[in-house]
Amino acid sequence: MDHAKDAGHEGAAHHGSVWPFVAGFGASIGYAGLILDLRILAFGVFVFVVGALGWLRDDIRSPSIASYGAFAARPGEVRVSSRKIATWLFLATEIMFFSAIIGVSWSLRTRSADWGRPGEVLNVPLTGLNTFILICSSLTMVEALAAVERGNQKQLKMFLAATLVLGITFLSIQAFEYTKLFFEEGLTFTGAPGGINPLYGSTFYIQTGVHGSHVFAGVLAMAYTTIKAFKGGFTKENHEAVELVGLYWHFVDVVWIFLFTIVYLI
Amino acid sequence: MAETAIASHGIAAETRRRPYVVVFGILAIVTLAELNVSVFGLAPSLRIGVLLILATAKGALVVAYYMHMRYEPRWLILVPLVAVALIAALVLALLGTGVTPSAPQP
Repeated sequence: MDHAKDAGHEGAAHHGSVWPFVAGFGASIGYAGLILDLRILAFGVFVFVVGALGWLRDDIRSPSIASYGAFAARPGEVRVSSRKIATWLFLATEIMFFSAIIGVSWSLRTRSADWGRPGEVLNVPLTGLNTFILICSSLTMVEALAAVERGNQKQLKMFLAATLVLGITFLSIQAFEYTKLFFEEGLTFTGAPGGINPLYGSTFYIQTGVHGSHVFAGVLAMAYTTIKAFKGGFTKENHEAVELVGLYWHFVDVVWIFLFTIVYLI
Repeated sequence: MAETAIASHGIAAETRRRPYVVVFGILAIVTLAELNVSVFGLAPSLRIGVLLILATAKGALVVAYYMHMRYEPRWLILVPLVAVALIAALVLALLGTGVTPSAPQP
């Protein structure tokens, strides 16, 4: 039986999974463990991973249907699904999170007379290439969504896989850059070469590292979405997850656009 | 490639040309310009201003076209804008407290 068609008929079964609550419970235990005891943290992480895996197991068998609540659409109205609103709310919190990190770093550098100049320590051409790779991944991501909206399964799989590969490439280049900077250039968390303010290293790693961890989360989400696409889990009618994962992916791209300018070029 | 059926909004499918590749070209060209902005010999403050404007323009293009904000109902932009407004309020609140970039610590 064609899985895509099969998935399209299971709309009601998609709701009611207990696993999100298990994952949330695990996260709560984990946060408590951060304060109380590392063993409690480990247990919380274990429960979270079990919950997340159970959630994914449920989801990969389900269609990706957009939910618009109980209100019927008025003629000509463009509606926004509840999950898309939730995704944008999440991204709004991320805007504030990244602004805090970038703001602190900016505040520190403007107080320091011995901050690193553009290209003095950091490899700007290499990171320029990495920026280009991330922009390419945004194009392939949006083309994946366009493909599934046309019902073109082949292009959906191809563009999602390309986005995944580009994301992994970005992280690989960043890992290479970190290795060179840390072990060869002497840019560490507490020190910097050439009389540069040591805070230069810590602000560099916190800004690019937090962004890199977001790309890593995006790569995991992209890998899952790609697997689901190869299993025929998205159709022309039901593919909202592709759009939502894409929103997160593009947001990470936007953050990098600003980080590249602020950290590397200014 | 840019021919897209818009079916994800719960409305009748509508075919609309979306300039994804054109936006990509602009992003790539602007990135190249950013990497070479030093050749123009601008004053540091002007250079920083130009680079921040270029970054903002690139970010706006991604949000408008790749994140489809241009095709969504207008009110949805309020969600990220509220976050940006809160950040602006925080920066303004910090002005004059001594915790600002323009006020070096002793």
